[in-house]
Amino acid sequence: MAKAEAGERTSITLGFLTVVEHEQHGFFGGYLLLNASARPLEFHCTAPIKPNRAQEILYGPTLRPYLYGEQIAHTLISKSTAKPVAVCTDEPAVLAVRELVSLPVALVGDPASAGDQQRGGPAAGRSVRIDAAHQSPRLVSFELGRNRLAVAAQYEGDRDELGRRLTSLADHLDLAEPFERIRGAIDEAQRAGK
Amino acid sequence: MSVDHERGSPAWCWSAAGDPLGAGLRTLSVYAKAMEVAPATDDGMAVPLSLAPRGAVKVPLAPPRIKTRHFVFPQVADDQKVLPDAQSSAPPVPPTLSASHDQRFTRIRPPGEMIKLEDRLYYALQPPLETIVSGQLLHFPFHPFPYQLEGVAFLYARYSAVLADEMGLGKTMQAITAIRLLLHSGELRRVLLICPKPLVTNWQREFHHWAPEVPVSVIEGDQAKRRWQWQLGESPVRIANYELLHRDRELLAPDTHFDLVVLDESQRIKNRSSTTAQIVRSIPRSRSWALTGTPVENSPEDLVGIFEFLSPGFLSPNLKPRRMGRLVSDYILRRTKDRVLTELPPKMFRDADVTLTAEQRETYRLAEDEGVLRLSKMGEAATIQHVFELVLRLKQICNFDPASGASSKLERLAADLEEVAASGQKALVFSQWVGTLDELRRRLARFRPLAYHGGVPSHRRDEVIRRFKEEADRPLLLISYGAGGVGLNLQFARYVFLFDRWWNPAVEDQAINRVHRIGAAGPVTVTRFLALATIEERINQVLEEKREIFDTIFSDAEPHKHLGLTRHEIFGLFQLKTPAGPIDLAA
Repeated sequence: MAKAEAGERTSITLGFLTVVEHEQHGFFGGYLLLNASARPLEFHCTAPIKPNRAQEILYGPTLRPYLYGEQIAHTLISKSTAKPVAVCTDEPAVLAVRELVSLPVALVGDPASAGDQQRGGPAAGRSVRIDAAHQSPRLVSFELGRNRLAVAAQYEGDRDELGRRLTSLADHLDLAEPFERIRGAIDEAQRAGK
Repeated sequence: MSVDHERGSPAWCWSAAGDPLGAGLRTLSVYAKAMEVAPATDDGMAVPLSLAPRGAVKVPLAPPRIKTRHFVFPQVADDQKVLPDAQSSAPPVPPTLSASHDQRFTRIRPPGEMIKLEDRLYYALQPPLETIVSGQLLHFPFHPFPYQLEGVAFLYARYSAVLADEMGLGKTMQAITAIRLLLHSGELRRVLLICPKPLVTNWQREFHHWAPEVPVSVIEGDQAKRRWQWQLGESPVRIANYELLHRDRELLAPDTHFDLVVLDESQRIKNRSSTTAQIVRSIPRSRSWALTGTPVENSPEDLVGIFEFLSPGFLSPNLKPRRMGRLVSDYILRRTKDRVLTELPPKMFRDADVTLTAEQRETYRLAEDEGVLRLSKMGEAATIQHVFELVLRLKQICNFDPASGASSKLERLAADLEEVAASGQKALVFSQWVGTLDELRRRLARFRPLAYHGGVPSHRRDEVIRRFKEEADRPLLLISYGAGGVGLNLQFARYVFLFDRWWNPAVEDQAINRVHRIGAAGPVTVTRFLALATIEERINQVLEEKREIFDTIFSDAEPHKHLGLTRHEIFGLFQLKTPAGPIDLAA
């Protein structure tokens, strides 16, 4: 590895954002910023957010993109001081934040199963829209290094952008790994808040 | 943006204000037209309407208020680290450590004692060990076992820790790897490792093996040199031995602060009032780690001594073993081979119960009668020391009759060794006495035995081990518990003979584990000699009870009613009447 390239790599900051659903408390957002060695730089998390019944009814299938992407993700990204080269998520609904930020936002993992793993499998009757309501979600999947990623179809250009920005990292970093850290940290923060 | 929608029926209509895909809906207005109660629909939309009075209802849809918490973690600049960042200079080579095929990562978890959320998150959000290692392009000579990585993760986050794995599980490697990673991350800059003198070269060798890029210096030489090493030396890792600390107490200036002090064989400080314990406790430091395979050798008080170094006042000698076990559970990591090394070759015990020869029996009887009579005459003036003298005398007779040299143990040992030598294997014979080892060396000369004990100068000991390992016609190593109980890797041998028994089962375990450890070539056979109907048999019962003490603290087993030896029990070996009060048998 050329030294210049190595130096460039060490200055990279990467964001990881997910939302954890808690049956009683609602939704917790967590946003972790890592350096190129996967060390934590910043962590931002939300207090639990519980939509009221009217919002659940009236937003219907757009509730998650609205809460995850437009509200939680947008708030967390706005509050961070470090500026990442991209934001990764394991929740398809978070991709809705791409409408509001100028960063590439990538879904990590297989889009068919993403977001279901931590909820114990596909929820019956639940659908997720990451673009306009009443349209089928459209994603563009691709491989980057050892990782499988997807971006929203209307931001297909992010694919090339991610390739440029993450090439030096994607070979040695497992981009799905940090989400477990975020979930652990949300657990810690929740316990501390009790 | 506003959205108007009218369902075909004359029942109701609604309008929404806001941007459903942008800033979100802000309000919803509902107009009831003809019916007071709207019919239910599949999606439950009738619920709020069913409560609506005739007329308009406004349902507020303000975006949720989102409270956030923010944590920014300290970063160590590259020029603040004592080790160069491998990734900025080293060529890209594949790391030798990766997550297992099932993607199981070894995670660093904050210890229970860590209170501040920010501190807890700092460790909870660290990458798994596999990522740290691959990110820093660090290499390992062998892929560590998963339990060893767990041990590294345990130490990494702790400021006070006892790694108490059973001997042979690689405590040295785990400590070195944790130190290595913390040095690379910049969290450590100055480390002091204190070990018994005979183990200094072993630690140097292991550092070279597991962390070749970490500069290590040994504190030694004349006083001026040592002063410089203590106070000005720049090596991030310094190794000192316990014996040296006594001489260098004055050289340890109060401002000589270490980020980490590691005590190897930390049972050395089990006696809280010993000079060694006082000196190590006085060393200014941020982190304190203790390594020992025998955190409790004799009584739970041993653990109190170690914790006085880790966290003064945390334990009290008056605590019951079970309570003590609960208190220390987050600070101590102990694994046994049975639990983590399921692939380690088996360890087989043979109790070689021998009957004394006629000559030995007669000598033994006379000595015991005479000794007991003498103790009885002393009455209240008899001390534990007097009893010990008698015990040692009788044990020596169980080894060899001093008058005739007769030994039923030797006869049995010699027969076994014939078989060992004939099969091309190697054996260790342990005794607590150099005199016994010398006698064995003379009587077993045909096996060309090598000796490793306190009488062998320390600078020649490495050579003894090398010859035992490399020379095929040297099948036998005569070794003392004191000199060879710790720090030696002799896993190429397959047989261990305990010619006489030590007072403490933990010391016997240490001896056995010189052979039965990672890398053991095959099953290990341990032969424990015991002279029937003698003091050895009675002591053996005591040893079994000591094992139960240990189990009480380090497992959920029911506490055993005999938690230590009392004077009554010691004197009871000879049915003597004694004053009351607890004693420390191994003192």
